Amino acid sequence: MGELEGKKHVQYIVSVEKKKDSFEALVIEHLRLNGAYWGLTTLDLLNEIEAVKPDEIVQWIMQCQDIGSGGFGGNVGHDPHLLYTLSAVQVLALLNRLDVLDIDKVSDYVAGLQNEDGSFSGDMWGEVDTRFSYIAICCLSLLGQLSKINVESAVNYIVSCKNLDGGFGSIPGGESHAGQIFCCVGTLAITGSLHHVDRDLLGWWLCERQCKDGGLNGRPEKLADVCYSWWVLSSLVMIDRVHWIDKEKLTRFILNCQDKENGGISDRPDNAVDVYHTYFGVAGLSLLEYPGIKPIDPAYALPVDVVNRIFFSK
Amino acid sequence: MEKDSSFSRGSEMSLLEQFEGILEGDKLIDEIGFLGPSQFASLDQDLSGSSLDQCTPIQLADVSLETNIAELNTVQYDKNFFWNRNNKLAISTDVLSHLYIAARHAYIASAQANFDHLLEDEILKHTKALLILSCNFSSAWNDRKLVLSRKHEMALFLEELRFSSLILSGAPKVESAWSQRRWVIKIVGDFLQDSPGIIREESDLVEKIAEKSKMNYRAWGHRCWLISCMNSDQVFHELAKSKKWTELHVADNCCFHYRRELMLNLLKEYHEASTGCNFDVCLLYKEELKWTELLIGRYIGREALWIHRRFLTQCWIKHFTTNQGAAAVTESEDLISSTTQTFIAKELKFARSFLNITDGFYDALDQAQYAASYILWTLKFALSQESMHEEILSELRDLKPLLLKTCAVNSLGWETML
Repeated sequence: MGELEGKKHVQYIVSVEKKKDSFEALVIEHLRLNGAYWGLTTLDLLNEIEAVKPDEIVQWIMQCQDIGSGGFGGNVGHDPHLLYTLSAVQVLALLNRLDVLDIDKVSDYVAGLQNEDGSFSGDMWGEVDTRFSYIAICCLSLLGQLSKINVESAVNYIVSCKNLDGGFGSIPGGESHAGQIFCCVGTLAITGSLHHVDRDLLGWWLCERQCKDGGLNGRPEKLADVCYSWWVLSSLVMIDRVHWIDKEKLTRFILNCQDKENGGISDRPDNAVDVYHTYFGVAGLSLLEYPGIKPIDPAYALPVDVVNRIFFSK
Repeated sequence: MEKDSSFSRGSEMSLLEQFEGILEGDKLIDEIGFLGPSQFASLDQDLSGSSLDQCTPIQLADVSLETNIAELNTVQYDKNFFWNRNNKLAISTDVLSHLYIAARHAYIASAQANFDHLLEDEILKHTKALLILSCNFSSAWNDRKLVLSRKHEMALFLEELRFSSLILSGAPKVESAWSQRRWVIKIVGDFLQDSPGIIREESDLVEKIAEKSKMNYRAWGHRCWLISCMNSDQVFHELAKSKKWTELHVADNCCFHYRRELMLNLLKEYHEASTGCNFDVCLLYKEELKWTELLIGRYIGREALWIHRRFLTQCWIKHFTTNQGAAAVTESEDLISSTTQTFIAKELKFARSFLNITDGFYDALDQAQYAASYILWTLKFALSQESMHEEILSELRDLKPLLLKTCAVNSLGWETML
């Protein structure tokens, strides 16, 4: 089975940051802020956040903010969207630089995207998805501004997306999907509304995600993918059913997805690595309490010490 | 290899001009691919590089559009990098980065200089090129929406649907392309008052894409979104129409989820309406149960089928059975629902038939596992406490060791629950 190649993963993440000119890098430049979150959180989980210079990063993040709306785009000059606004807040939290934010401006942007029925649109163009509910609530909670939205209707909307199998989809009636489930359960957890979840029913759906190879998939009939080590696992932790899966088999699966020579983690063994899966692999191992990795908060998806710093030092 | 003499290699702007020229000249492009140099070289090289000469009338409800594609319009391009024939376009991977940078630059320049909306055509042209190269570039999709909102021309809205289809043909999971469709449909639907036509076209598009892109969450999510625009007749029609496709894709959980949503939609109508469509719905559920039973027997070890059965059983127990035995009656006085007891007994018998594995093939093992989890799940979650008669409980006790033995991975969960 082998071990976690922590140092190699750190080297991989730092090297990816430098390769900006390949076509593969160009076609994801619009979500660079997400990439920053994945990369930097991984570094912090591996106790290597010192590998980067925070000032440069903070400066670049603030350049991604759209002055008019207060929201953040995925890169400088890109349109604002909730997806990147959360990543901005999370990275600033990680670097302990939330002080650079105009809290009101950012919160007003997020709160302004709530709809009549309690749902959230991703941006001014109106697309609704439970992912955006999670992003809004996580973001506002970190900024201490949940009072700016209608929490009750937000929760009611999430509940309206609950399916008969106990899972949640992207909109009411949407197919249950581990990623969407994480977002809905996370929202309910942060707002103290987990009583709406049938823990046994959902726990069953989630533990059926474990495949023969020990990895987790996101829906029935799909192959295991390392990113579900996070979406499924954190959901199980939040509803206190993590003992329903075989943790040892899952750990082995994640470790087998490493590129032990060049660093990085891929979606499944022997595939190409990327920062996204590297983050989710390490985050999953953190939830599995793998030695040498900092504990991560399953709802906020940030290291526990970062979350504590925000909530307990006020 | 022949080179076109009008354009020199390596100039980024002229590369973009060539690319946009091809897109302008061949409006019916339905497939685009990026090919490595060796693959590219093996493509059949056409000497003239001329675009097609066609006239295509498109009719939709009251609106009729005629699009004249340029006749004998010779588009110049470097055949080392572009290949365009039969409405297909190939681009060499050698020039992708250059093209992307040029397109992005042109797009940003036109967006920033768009005072008095004079550069809207430029924006549409450059975002088209950019999105073909980087289909997730959401700001580009947004600027297209801005232009389309302002111009508010039907032809442009319909063209946007076609453009989205082009993007989806190569990248079927792109979220922005799907949400662009919904944005257009919300506007165009009211305008045309031809919602049934649009629903049918969107449904067909999803099915076409789902053929190549299995269990595509966004595609099927889009199809589920359409259900809210359907009336009961359309829902019944969709169920009937999609049945054949579903039979050919029994490993695709999405198409079964789609059927579940259609059926739930009918149940909701049934509760809200008078007794009118009661037994149509009841009959539908009964037929679906029978059909699933057939498929489970035919396709051994298919998880999606057992998941579907869980749903059907759950609904059947909840809406069409009672403990006392009152049942829905058809027009011909045949009882088509039953007591909870009878139904459960039948289901247990059906599932148990798969538990004794005589051969060691994986499919048979999987079938046993799914059958076992189906029994456990149904007894735990689909039955109310009152229904748990002593007979069922004793059955469960008998089955318990076999059930736990059969399901290796998930036994931890079940042990806790039993």
